[in-house]
Amino acid sequence: MSVIEFTLNGRAQRLDVEGDTPLLWVIREELLLTGTKFGCGKGLCGACTVHLDGQPIRSCSYPVSLAAGKQIRTIEGVAESLEQLHPVQQVWLEENVPQCGYCQSGQIMAAVALLERNASPDDGEIDAAMSNICRCGTYPRIRKAVKRAAEIMQEQAVVAYFDPKEQLS
Amino acid sequence: MSLSRREFFKTGAAVGGGIAIGLTLTGCGGQTAYPGANPADLRANAYLQVRPDGHVVFQLPRAEMGQGVYTGLTTLVAEELSMPADTIIVEHAYYLPEFRDPEFGMMMTGGSVSLRNNFVPLRQAAANLREWMRRAGAQYLQVPTSDLRIENAQVVSTDGNATGFAALIETARSIEPPEDAPLKKPSEFQQIGRESTRLDAVAKVTGTATFGIDCQQPGAVTAVMRRCPHLGGRMKQFDDTAAKAIKGVQAIIPVNGGVAVVASGYWPARKAADALQIEWDKGPLAGLDDAGLRQRHDELLLEEGRNVAETGEADAATGESVEVVYRVPMLSHSPMEPPNALVRVDSDKVEIWTGSQVPDTVIGVVAAAIDRPREQVVVHNQMLGGGFGRRLVPDYIVEAAMVAKQVGKPVKLVWSREDDVQHDYYRPAATARLAATIDNGRVTSFSGKTVVPSIMGQLMPMYAEAAMPEWLPPAIPRSLAGMAKHFDTSMTEGLGDTNYQFPYIKMDTVRDETPIPVGFWRSVGHSQNAFFTESFMDELAHKVGQDPVAFRLQHMPVESNRYQVLKLVAEKAWGKAPAGQFQGVAAHDAFHSSVAQVVNASVENGNIRVHKVVCVVHCGLAVNPDVVRAQMESAIIFGLTAALKGKISLEDGRVMQSNFHDYPLLTLAETPDIEVHIAPSEDAPTGVGEPGLPPLAPALANAVFAATGQRLRELPLKLA
Repeated sequence: MSVIEFTLNGRAQRLDVEGDTPLLWVIREELLLTGTKFGCGKGLCGACTVHLDGQPIRSCSYPVSLAAGKQIRTIEGVAESLEQLHPVQQVWLEENVPQCGYCQSGQIMAAVALLERNASPDDGEIDAAMSNICRCGTYPRIRKAVKRAAEIMQEQAVVAYFDPKEQLS
Repeated sequence: MSLSRREFFKTGAAVGGGIAIGLTLTGCGGQTAYPGANPADLRANAYLQVRPDGHVVFQLPRAEMGQGVYTGLTTLVAEELSMPADTIIVEHAYYLPEFRDPEFGMMMTGGSVSLRNNFVPLRQAAANLREWMRRAGAQYLQVPTSDLRIENAQVVSTDGNATGFAALIETARSIEPPEDAPLKKPSEFQQIGRESTRLDAVAKVTGTATFGIDCQQPGAVTAVMRRCPHLGGRMKQFDDTAAKAIKGVQAIIPVNGGVAVVASGYWPARKAADALQIEWDKGPLAGLDDAGLRQRHDELLLEEGRNVAETGEADAATGESVEVVYRVPMLSHSPMEPPNALVRVDSDKVEIWTGSQVPDTVIGVVAAAIDRPREQVVVHNQMLGGGFGRRLVPDYIVEAAMVAKQVGKPVKLVWSREDDVQHDYYRPAATARLAATIDNGRVTSFSGKTVVPSIMGQLMPMYAEAAMPEWLPPAIPRSLAGMAKHFDTSMTEGLGDTNYQFPYIKMDTVRDETPIPVGFWRSVGHSQNAFFTESFMDELAHKVGQDPVAFRLQHMPVESNRYQVLKLVAEKAWGKAPAGQFQGVAAHDAFHSSVAQVVNASVENGNIRVHKVVCVVHCGLAVNPDVVRAQMESAIIFGLTAALKGKISLEDGRVMQSNFHDYPLLTLAETPDIEVHIAPSEDAPTGVGEPGLPPLAPALANAVFAATGQRLRELPLKLA
């Protein structure tokens, strides 16, 4: 066991865990945030997508030891405040994207990361960034929602919750 | 879920475009639903209660697995109560006999029956509550009932004065609840037939929806299982020396033919499971591979089989004979949430938190497996992270209960994706020989024979045992239910009951008595039988030189819904492909609905590319048109995965695929444009969860034929 420190949704965390434990299980079982899902355990489906210093990662195959000192954001940390959902979440509601909903935390995390990097992605960029698997087949609505969210975020000039550049300076 | 967040959502803050959050999901701690803890509630019936604070509670009697019952069924109730659906508190219902589906006799979510079979009973239940509160209001306010109407959980009088339900509960208790209150006329519907945000959407975009895997219990440990990789095999012996040394491991025990590892969390349990050395008895399927399965089906095709349909006279079958063989492979369901269950075995109670399509079967099989009376077993059903038929079999819940009983602590048993792909109840492999005779450009006969295992034959004994009184020796329901295989209609559904009209039609089926575990996979027998018939119809159309749409229309009843959807889809899309794209069409009846699809595809460098799917569905009245569209999109994409990629293969009786790298699912990048049209109808609602799937594979195969001239008679589609 080793002590690992990181920031989760803006809060400092200090944990005594086995360093090879995937970040997913630390988030779900130690920190009890269950919005991030287990889907494949091999980084293939993206249900476990979280942000690590603003980048989307597949937490089911990301050892917690590599998260030391990093900023982690999960679906629970996406809404700017509890009264106001993130534009991506709002659009997800307007387009009625979710079906079973199990993969949607990961889909939303992938979409938020994409739109924070790229304000107006084209279809090819959406294809590349949104590689998460959805067995219910919500893809047509995801594509539509990502485009709509991009428009709204540009209109509202939404600022990234975590700006890696700021961190570096 | 933290209390503060939960409380927040309950306060009903406004979101974005003003959608009120009425998040009312009962989380894992929820034990307040009827039956049980709320004697203070006014219980109108099994489905509906009024809480002392005036809130209306709806016991959702079907599992929400993405298909939209959480929204659809609540809408039915909200309509009759004239209150916004998102102000109703929705609970995942506990098992009650009243919640059994009248057609299946089980509290089952499947067969695309939820809207169809609940359309009247749920509205009746809500109308009865409405009328009860109106009568209570009349007595309470000392005014005639006719002066009162019900709105927003209030009784409103002609002068506009409103009295909330809370004030009327005591008065209502003194009045006999009505049982046959009048239902609203369709012309009065304010919510049914309209689109709305799904009621479960807020929870699902915020990560707060609770699935089985999210449930917690104090002191719970995590378990994973190693099962024999050879289907039907069992553990002979194991060495756990290395596994025991892994930190966090608490117990390693033989369970149900496999070995369970119990640990402080998923990761140590998984590491220890991987470190187990196990010797397996390969079981009854040792040596079986795909070639063997294929050969077996070819041999069975020679058997006479059971006749399931015969119309017309055999001597009408004149002219040239055409005979072809079609095949489909085994498929796994692979819902995104791997199978899991949390079970707590106490001295007088067994509690289960999981996602299941059959809570009453769960009670029966768990009680039998761990030797407890059924009345001690409680199923706290949760949101299902996909069902597609996988969660009709509670094998994973039985495992969890057996482990929990042995370790004496609450146990959350979690399957890996590998477990899921390799230990499913698969869509069975099926083979069909289809034949026709053609005389002077006219098809004079249409016949077929399928070779397929009986899913009912394998699974009905379990359902029957769980449904029959527990004092019956299990052999009785099991042997009675075993008879189901002799008349299992799922083997030929969509083939034997086609409404195509030819001078002579004959359909037979041969049962493949295999120990390969098989199960109900979205659209069940239709998933293969539509591919067989609708591809073969295309072959016949080309044989007689007719347009595939015109040929089909000519051979089906003009008044049928299938005729209507085929005609509509042809008007929308047929003959309108952009240059370089080729079209295929199919139309199929399933679950009382009709769906026709036109697929635009092209072949580039030997790869099939799907550009667009246009779909028309006739499903009676669309209670929520957007959910209907979503289900068509969903089934089309599910069908595309099966048509282009899906294959479970066997070697030495062992499944060779293991995860999404070798059992790939369609991705967003591969998803075509999908356009869905709902045929207008005032009929009662019919199924939507499954009927969109069957026509996709044949429509695509027919498009590939149009593009290449290659007739692909096997799924997944592979060009020569």
